[in-house]
Amino acid sequence: MSDETTLTLRRALAQRVDASTVAWDALRGLDAAGIEAQEVWIEGSGRGRLGDLFQVAAVPGERIRLVGDLARLDGIGAGLAGGVLVIDGDAGWYVGQGMRGGSIEVRGRAGPQTGGALPGAKRGMTGGEIVVRGSVGPGAGTGLRRGLIAVEGDAAESAGRAMLAGSIVVFGAVGAEPGLWSKRGSVVALGAVTPPATYRYACTYRPSYLPVTLGYLKRRYGCPVTPDHLSGLYRRYSGDLAELGAGEILAWTP
Amino acid sequence: MKIRGVAIEDTFAEAFTMRVARVVITGRTLRWVREAALKMTGFATSVIGCKCEAGIERELPPDETPDGRPGMSVLLLTMGKDDLPVRLIERIGQTILTCPTTACFDGLPEAPDRVGVGSALRVFGDGFQGSKMVGGRRFWRIPVMEGEFLIEEKFGLQKGIGGGNFLILATSADAALAAAEAAVDAMAGLPGVVLPFPGGVVRSGSKVGARRSKGMIASTNDAYCPTLRAVTASALPESVNSVLEIVLDGVDAPAISRAMRVGIDAACRDGVVGITAGNYGGKLGPHHFHLRQIMSADGPAR
Repeated sequence: MSDETTLTLRRALAQRVDASTVAWDALRGLDAAGIEAQEVWIEGSGRGRLGDLFQVAAVPGERIRLVGDLARLDGIGAGLAGGVLVIDGDAGWYVGQGMRGGSIEVRGRAGPQTGGALPGAKRGMTGGEIVVRGSVGPGAGTGLRRGLIAVEGDAAESAGRAMLAGSIVVFGAVGAEPGLWSKRGSVVALGAVTPPATYRYACTYRPSYLPVTLGYLKRRYGCPVTPDHLSGLYRRYSGDLAELGAGEILAWTP
Repeated sequence: MKIRGVAIEDTFAEAFTMRVARVVITGRTLRWVREAALKMTGFATSVIGCKCEAGIERELPPDETPDGRPGMSVLLLTMGKDDLPVRLIERIGQTILTCPTTACFDGLPEAPDRVGVGSALRVFGDGFQGSKMVGGRRFWRIPVMEGEFLIEEKFGLQKGIGGGNFLILATSADAALAAAEAAVDAMAGLPGVVLPFPGGVVRSGSKVGARRSKGMIASTNDAYCPTLRAVTASALPESVNSVLEIVLDGVDAPAISRAMRVGIDAACRDGVVGITAGNYGGKLGPHHFHLRQIMSADGPAR
């Protein structure tokens, strides 16, 4: 018997589904019927139930696993404050929207605005950790207030847009304009990156906190951190100088 | 009781409850970790004159430190709960913050009592400092000329014990020193214990108060001074010509008992007549470490 609650996709999603209406943080305390009754919004057909989309096997505990290609399921983990949410496949837009704690692991790719803020919102994720084994779409960590986002693949354009604090670690390439309009916070680029024009080079050094963060990602999530990442030098760019300028892009120099 | 011909006196060491913090220092190389640890634990032999007691607990391999670098753990003890953060802030601020390449972490993360240390030292950053949360722990990044100093925001503190001790009674100063060195070497690196005096050894054991100067908190332990055998109420057997003391502070009684057992066993060698311990009749300190009980077959595990 599994030691986690499992939601297995019944059939491939034909339309986009907004699952930000699901009380993700409360799922850990619900039985199968309670989970199945959670409301979602299906593009084109309107209101639906989580049970219409997923076969649910509920087990009391901290872990919930979603199985299937969920690239069309948006808002997974919205408002999560604790526990562990694992997505065994791709995920749609706004993974971890408004997340406050706990962790989300996406074993495939994640769509745009992972850990991001809704349009017009002042802040996105305010705590917790998101680890994406594949790549993420545009705007990951938009308005990030606190928390950690790790991307083992590439991050598309505008990662860390208008960040307020927190860290985004990208093992692959970082797309255009990372950290634009950020006040504080860190974008750590272990692959290729081009800082925006509003960032200014400061120095090349060993950031003292990075071995702590990277070591943690390796220990807890098995992220592909190498000894060279831990002991290597990083180019520090300060910005966004059009804003507070207390943010940074740390670009690893292999 | 005798161990290899050395008499173990039927007495006990009397120790006190203190407050203890464990500081983990890391650095680019062990050289700089050691420099920082030695400076931090300098002038911290006794609360009587130093306001705190401190020592290096052990070296930490990279896989035991939060940042994967070589490290050392240090124990720092004070008599009062309120003193501890003050001493930590003073000493870390002057000796770790200033030392090249080092970072500083809490070594008692499970301790429920927490005191702000990094949160106080962060202001050295003059507004340029920043913090990071990693795994539920907050760290402060303080910009310095070398690059960046990293320190954990809060440090755990817990009740500890100060003043565990034993005295080595030897036929000569050379024999006493050799036995003390052997004891210190045997106890080096044991978890949960530090030896706060120079090289772990005290030559000037003290008694409470003084005969002449009434304001003194402590004065020479004349009963154990061989040069005073003829003029004071000496506690020394005839053949004893030198005495050295080992003082132990630790996180709990079992840690001190284990270390005393190891140290006393190593000190029982040629030229040593007896092992005894310092106490105040059991009236001052709540922790009593009975030598024969510690050294018996069913004593603490080594």
